Parts: sequence; C-alpha cells; structure tokens
Amino acid sequence: MAKKIPSISKINELFQNKEMKPSELFEQVYETASYTESVLHAHLELFYDEGLKLSKESDNRYSKNESFGLLDGIPIAIKDNINVYGYKTTCSSKMLSNYVSPYDATVISSLKKAGTIFTGKTNLDEFAMGSSTENSAYGPTKNPWNPDFVPGGSSGGSAAVVSAGSAVASLGSDTGGSIRQPASFCGVVGFKPTYGTVSRYGLIAFASSLDQIGPITNTVDDTRIIFNEIQGYDSKDATSITPEYTKLENKKIKVGILKELMQEGVSKESQNEVNKVVTLLKEKGHDVTEISLPLTEMALSVYYLIAPAECSANLSRFDGVRYGIREDASTSYEMMNKTRSVGFGEEVKKRILLGTYALSAGYFDEYYGRALKVRSKIISDFKTAFDKVDFILSPTTPTPAFGFGDKTKNPLEMYLSDLCTIPANLAGLPAISVPTGLSENNLPLSVQIMGKPCSDYSLIDFAESIEEMVEFNFSPNLLKEKNES
Amino acid sequence: MNLKATIGMETHVELDTKSKMFCSCEVVETDEPNVSVCPTCLGLPGALPVPNKTAIEYIVMLSLGANCKITNEGMFHRKNYFYPDLPKNYQISQFDFPVGVNGSLEIVLDEELHSVEIERVHMEEDTGKSVHMGSGRIDSATSTLLDFNRSGIPLVEVVTKPVISTSKMAVAYIEELRQVVIDLGISKGKLEKGNLRFDANISVADENANELGTKVEIKNMNSLKSLEKAIDYEIMRQSKQVEKGESVIQETRHWDENKQVTVSMRTKEGSADYRYFSDPDLPNMIIDQDFIDNSKKNIQNLPTDKRKTLKESGLSLSDSNYLDKGEKWLYDLYLSTVENTKDSKSTFNFLTGELQGQMRKAEIDELPNWVDSVKLANLINLFETNEVSFTSAKDILTKLLSEDIDPKSYASDNNLIQSSDDEEIKALVTSIIKDNQDIVERLEDPEDKLVGFLVGQVMKSSENKVNPGTVKDILLKELFG
Amino acid sequence: MSENFNIDDVSNLASIELSEDEKAKLQKDLQIILEHVDALKNIDVKDEKIDIHPLSKVLELRKDESKESLKHEDAMMNSPETKDGHFVVPPSIE
Repeated sequence: MAKKIPSISKINELFQNKEMKPSELFEQVYETASYTESVLHAHLELFYDEGLKLSKESDNRYSKNESFGLLDGIPIAIKDNINVYGYKTTCSSKMLSNYVSPYDATVISSLKKAGTIFTGKTNLDEFAMGSSTENSAYGPTKNPWNPDFVPGGSSGGSAAVVSAGSAVASLGSDTGGSIRQPASFCGVVGFKPTYGTVSRYGLIAFASSLDQIGPITNTVDDTRIIFNEIQGYDSKDATSITPEYTKLENKKIKVGILKELMQEGVSKESQNEVNKVVTLLKEKGHDVTEISLPLTEMALSVYYLIAPAECSANLSRFDGVRYGIREDASTSYEMMNKTRSVGFGEEVKKRILLGTYALSAGYFDEYYGRALKVRSKIISDFKTAFDKVDFILSPTTPTPAFGFGDKTKNPLEMYLSDLCTIPANLAGLPAISVPTGLSENNLPLSVQIMGKPCSDYSLIDFAESIEEMVEFNFSPNLLKEKNES
Repeated sequence: MNLKATIGMETHVELDTKSKMFCSCEVVETDEPNVSVCPTCLGLPGALPVPNKTAIEYIVMLSLGANCKITNEGMFHRKNYFYPDLPKNYQISQFDFPVGVNGSLEIVLDEELHSVEIERVHMEEDTGKSVHMGSGRIDSATSTLLDFNRSGIPLVEVVTKPVISTSKMAVAYIEELRQVVIDLGISKGKLEKGNLRFDANISVADENANELGTKVEIKNMNSLKSLEKAIDYEIMRQSKQVEKGESVIQETRHWDENKQVTVSMRTKEGSADYRYFSDPDLPNMIIDQDFIDNSKKNIQNLPTDKRKTLKESGLSLSDSNYLDKGEKWLYDLYLSTVENTKDSKSTFNFLTGELQGQMRKAEIDELPNWVDSVKLANLINLFETNEVSFTSAKDILTKLLSEDIDPKSYASDNNLIQSSDDEEIKALVTSIIKDNQDIVERLEDPEDKLVGFLVGQVMKSSENKVNPGTVKDILLKELFG
Repeated sequence: MSENFNIDDVSNLASIELSEDEKAKLQKDLQIILEHVDALKNIDVKDEKIDIHPLSKVLELRKDESKESLKHEDAMMNSPETKDGHFVVPPSIE
C-alpha cells in the first residue's frame, strides 16, 4: 500500500506527463497519514479539506500545462511554530491551544505562490525547546523506524512525517539542531540554511539570533528545490540578508574533520559514519584533513546562555492579554503570572528562568555578556577555518535516536544531544545532515556538513555527492510492516 | 540649613511620522480602538520589527538641534517589564548607545540666558493606551480596556542632566524643547494631545552638600501648569522632610490634579529590573556622516536663531523668547512689519497685544488676506507719530480686520487725524485753565494727578482730535513755566 | 555564582507563578546548568566586539510609508475578552 515517495523532480515529471495528478498524490499521503498518525502522532492537525481543494486546483493547472513550477501540487507539512493564516499555531504549547493566526509567515506566502499544498501542522517540543518532542503539551511523536524511540526534536513531527511518507517534505526550524538532529534520527535529509537567507517573519521566535527555517526532505535535491523557493531577502525581517551565494571553483574539495566532534562524548557508531564518508571522499580524490576549533567545546555553554536569554524576552508576549489562554484573577499582574504558570510546560519555564537570571542586574556581564563575546570568538574561529577548508564534516548527533524517558532526568544529558549541531547556529553557518547508515539496533545515522556563510548551494551540491556515494536506501520499519501486510 | 532642589527632566516626544516606528501601520488620531494595528505592534507571535527611516532622521535632527554628539554605531535594546498595554512585555528602546549624547539647550528666564545640559537623546516605541473602568476612583477599577492604536508610535526620549533648580526653569526648558521639535517639523508638539510627556526627577539637599538628595520621580505629566505645581509641591514636601531630619523615600509618584498633591505610585513597574539587552531582531545601526549631513539639511531657524534675529531687531531677550515660541506667522509678520516702523517695542506690543487680542475676540485664526505688514506698519506709524490716538488706532485695526481699508485714508476720511498745531492746542489749553481755576490753584507740582484731569478736559473739548502728549507738554509749560 | 540564585526573585521577574514542587525541581536543574556554563569564565574575552547579527549585517531602515493593517476583526479574533473594540483585562492598577 504505502509507496516510498519519489523525489520532487520525479513527482513533477509524473504530473507533467499526466501519469499522476496532484490530488491523487495528496490522497496518497493523506491515506498514509491516516494509518501512521495513530502510531506516530506527528501531525497535530491535518488540512484535509483545503488540501484536497487546492490539489484539485493544481490538477487543473497541470491539465492546462500552466503549473507554477516544481513545487506545484507537492504536499508539504509545516512545523506548528510557523504561522499559516486561518489555522491554529500552537507551538505544541497549552498557552496557544486556542490561537488562530491572522497572518501568513513569509515562507508560507512563498510556498503558496509556488502552488504547494499543506498537509497540516506538525508536532514539536513546546516552543521548539527540546530534542525529542517529549516536551510537547499534546504528547510525544514516535520515531517511524521504531516507535520505542524518540524522533528527535524539536522538529520531530516534521522529520517523522517525511520519513513515514505522510508528506513529501516539511518545514522545520533550527535553533541549535532542531532540523538536523530529528532528520538524522528519522533517516531523512535536514538543512539549516545560512542565518538570514530565509525570512523568520511568521516563525514564532525561540532565540532570534539563532533561529532559522529550513526543509526536511527525502533527498538532497528536494532540499535544494524547497530552499530555492523559500530563500531570499524579506523586507519584513531586519535580520534578512541579500545573499550572494558562493560557488566552488575547484573540483577537488578540501574537507576538514572537526577534531572536537570526533572524541569522547560522541559515540563510536557516530564517528564511524564520518570515517566511512572520509574513505569515500578520499577515493574520489578529495582532500581531507583534521582541523581543531577548541572553542567548540564551549559552544553548548554559550548556547545555553544566549538561547534562554533571548527566549526569556521572546516569550514574554504570552501573557493572556491579547490571545492564548487566560487564567482568572483579580488583577492583570496576577492574571499574567497564573496564565504563564499554567500555559508553559516545565522545560519552557526552566529556560525562561535561566535566561531571566542571565540577564538580571549584577549577572549580565558574568553570563549573557560573556557568552556573546565567546560567541564572537567562535565566529572568527570558523572564519579562519574556512580559509583552509571548503567544508567541515562531523557526525550530526553523538548517538542514534534514544528511547523515551532516557534523557529526561538530567537536563544536560538532553542538551548534549545537540553537541554537534549547535556550533553552526552560533556562527550562522549553513549545515546539512545526510543519512549515511544504520546503527546496531537499526536506527539511522547521519553526517553533518557545514559550509561558510552563503555557501548554501555549493554545500547542497557537495551533500548530494555524498548522498550518491553512501547510497542510503533503507526505509523505516513502519513502512516495511505495512508493505508486508 | 539652606536647601536647594535639583531637577532632571525626561521628556518623551511623539514623532510626526506617517507610519509607526517598527511597522507600517498608519499613525492615526481616532477614538475607534484597535483599528491601526498589525502583528508587529500587537505583539503577535512571529512578528518582527523593521525601523522607520524617517524616525531615525528625525531623532538625528533633534539630537543635532540639541547640540548632541551623534553615536555612529548604535543599537536597539529590549527593556523588559510586564504591563498589559506593552504588547511584547518588552519595549524596544536604546540603552548604552543612544543616538545623541552630551548636548545642551539654551533657555531664557526673564532677561537671562541659561544652558540646560542634555545627557542623552534616544529612540523608543510607545505603548498602548489603558482605560481603567470602575467606580471612577483610580484605586477601585474593575477592569482595564486596552487600545493599541498608539502602540509602536515612535518616541524620542530626551534626558537632561540634573541641572534644573526651579519649576520655572523646568517649564522654560519644556517650552524651549517643544519649540525646537515644532521648528524642526518632527512633532506636532501639542501638549494637550500628549505629543510631549514628561517625568521630573526631583531631589532636595543642603545647598552645601556634595551629593544630591534622594531622587523622587514624578511620572507622566503633559501640561506645563501641572509640571510647575507638581515640582513646587514636591520641593516643599521633600524640604519639610529633610528639615525634620526624616529620610525621603526613593519612589515614583504621580501628580493628582484633583487633590493638587503628588501621590506615591505602587505599581510593579517602578521597582523592576529591566534586564536590558541588545535586540537580536535589529542588527547594529550605523549613522554615518552622509546620513547626518542629509538630516542637517532640514534644520533651519531654531528658537536660538530666531531669538538672535529678534534681538537684532531691537527686542529684549524676554520679548524675543515670547515671539520665538509663538506661531510662525506672528514671528514672520513681526519681522516684516518692524522693517517699516521705527520702534520695535511698540511694534511687538501692538502685534502681540492689540492684534492678537482682537483676533482672539473676533475668533479668527488667520489674518484676512488684505492685512499685510505694510498696512500694519502704516497703522503703527500713525499712532507712533501721534497722527492718530492709540484709541483711534485700535478702532482702525478693528475695521481693517473686517474690511480692506487703507489705514491712513480711513483716518483722514473719518476725521481721526489729531491736530499737532501748537497754537490751536494752546488756545484750547488757555480756555480750560480759565474754566478750571479752582483746580489750577490746588496744583502743587507737575506730577500731580490733577494734571491728568486737565489733560482729559482738553482732549474732551477737542473731541479727541489733539495729541494728548502735546497737550500735556503745553499745559505744563503754561502752568509751571 | 549559583549560590546567589534565588528562584523566587527570578520567577517574579519572569512573571511566572511556581508551585513549591516546581521550585524544587527547577532550582535543582538550573543549578546543574549554571555549574556547566561556568566553564566560560576561563576564556579571555577582553576587547571582543559584539555584532548583533552573526554575519555582521548592518541595519536597513524602512521607508516611512503606511500600509494596510490587520482588519479589526482579525486583530481581535483571539482576544480572551473584548468590549467596545477594546481588549479587556482585570484592572492593571491596584
């Protein structure tokens, strides 16, 4: 029944040649959703009626050979921290359980113009704070490869739907690894673009200087197609840039292996995937060297001051005054205190309090001020490194997917699962995760490739060549079981 | 113990831009609530700020107008506090890199010039408006209504150093600042509309003390009368405490217009730790020399320049200060009129007293198009040269405001020209002296009030056609030699 | 550092009411994190310049033009309580 979904280019070919209609594809992914969702809980809401209607409009365009392009009629899932007009945007929080967005995020407007069909909104760790979707107020998402394991997070829902075939691709957001880590756990491609290349307007902010929207897809080419549609300057986002993308001049590529991510703290299994890719790269004649950026070891600490500090202010607007839930009280202040107490989950509260403390009088210089300066140093270290190499290769995650409840006892253990992904956010670099193999217990493993700012397209090209070399052709158990039955 | 008061002013100036500071919502004046709001100024999830270029030009102009140094690389900060009319529960403001620093404004007190040092000029956004519903007493509200039309309107905050010593000086400072923003064309400057809102930081200490006393902040006033009364009241209140040896509590108070006292505000906001940090949504802001030069182009004829011109025309400092704060047409009219009259003071008096008075009485805001500086100068010259009496001049003005007349022809046609013929006057004087011998005998010296009575009699007998000055001169000569 | 961490002060600043159980759990977790980030103290950061934008982009300013705002109904549609076109909250003055 469930078919492995072809690539976007292939689907477009089928549409163009009238071998398949967008509405048929939409029905197919919806059918997949209807039996996978009961296990996975990856979508929070499905837009069936509107999706079917829009996909039929797309049918018409193809029948008249007037399609909008490669993405016309492609069903894409949206992480539920990105605003879509007229639909709920909950951020998987009780706080926004009743919130309906009166406007579209810029990425949503772009995709609508391209004729994309939205399957619905996907589950996440509340306000994108977490690495497993265990922090969702609406219950966790399960990993399609094995429902006893987490799908990663925070874009766990977006990664699971692509992996399970209930959407052709999805949008996630990545603040410290929230696209790449779940993509890795679910065996799909995840891309965090250069900071500022994709508008954040309409993405509910977690940490504004780190957040970036990006695609989660089955293939690297799909990532290229979606990134191409959503990137570009947006006058509504003051941090948006007018990117001048760099090109690779040499065929022989210089790849750096980041020493600090190939040592204790990263499992042998994860390291082996990098070693496997290194061998393949060398066979192709590329130049691979080890590089060292000692401050990488400080990245987690820097991140856990900057992200909470920014989030403590970004989440202040959730107060029960203009939208969201509200608790009764006799004064405004009491109402806000109680609403925020009831509306936010534990992890969100923890980070708000941490950030509030890091910014408070007497502690600013010691914590937040210092973290900003170390971040500046990390940025210049990367700059220097990219004078010597074109790309930096590392594992995406220290381990494959872990089990539910495995890392909820100690906050640091959970935070450490973003060890390899955080540096790219701090430095604003583009980084992509490509699945390369399976672990001992049949869970996907990936490598991460980081590029210099605005090398997004060449990074994608290079990732595609790795994708071809490793030939990752596995699919999740959920699909296999269904196929066999 | 002699006490002295020290006052610092923080003034919020609402800029007159088309759109808001960080979004494209129109700046509107309406009673209809929440009609000019968008995701950004309502603080909806996912919305982002993009700053208004004109607002930045305006704050640069104001900084230059207040003689500040411009910060070339600045940034915006978030000021964090929870208040229902603050949509994001942080205000985008500036902290350690304000647009303008270390300036000064020249103010006039009576006939003296003073300089008020400006510490900083920074950019921020306005909050929404709260209306408290309930029994009418501020302390027994049952709910608060919120309107966010005002939310996000650009505000410039101008902060002085603690260099003001009296309520009069504070008022003169606000008047000067208001005129500067009006002359720059960056704010409507209407106090009654809240275009300027001010906080006063007041402390009282022994005049020989090296340190300032405990600071009390009086927040959110928008009338000069309240400002003056609130400062006077607060100085008195604190002085009493200091004299009694009691300590003044550092707090925020507000001016209660009904009770005419300052009252402590026990809001949460007062004690907050604002946790300022650079806004990650807004990259570093560069204000380079080109930008400054462009902004400079729009700066002309500020109050200090106007005062200089007025003083050169012969006016005193306080009269110059009065005119530079007045409406622009009056300032222009004065300058063009005084060119054709001899006396600047009487021109000033006639235009600011008689002309403005009659216009107010007749409820006209604008001069009729036939009234120009030449006609007014002619009229002023008529009574200055004693050709008509001041009373006649007033009547001619009344006529001129309703009809296109030539003052001089009108005076002749209506028999208002006074005689300055000494012989004719002498004859009238002689006749009055003769008819009032009883009074003449009681006269002791030229200063006697009865001289005035006799002058009046002469005027009466001439039907006001003679010049009273000449009458007096001749009368005194006849009586005292 | 963390011996000064007073969870009541911080939750008050953050406007979040906490139960005693929450306080105990959060206090413990936050101590662990604060101890971890203390490692930053050993890094020399003198004279380090800070750019708000990770790629050092400079702020661009928007032309002063007004555009269409939200429809009033859309602005109010999520409001927990409204009256005469206003958002309504419990009294904000005590």
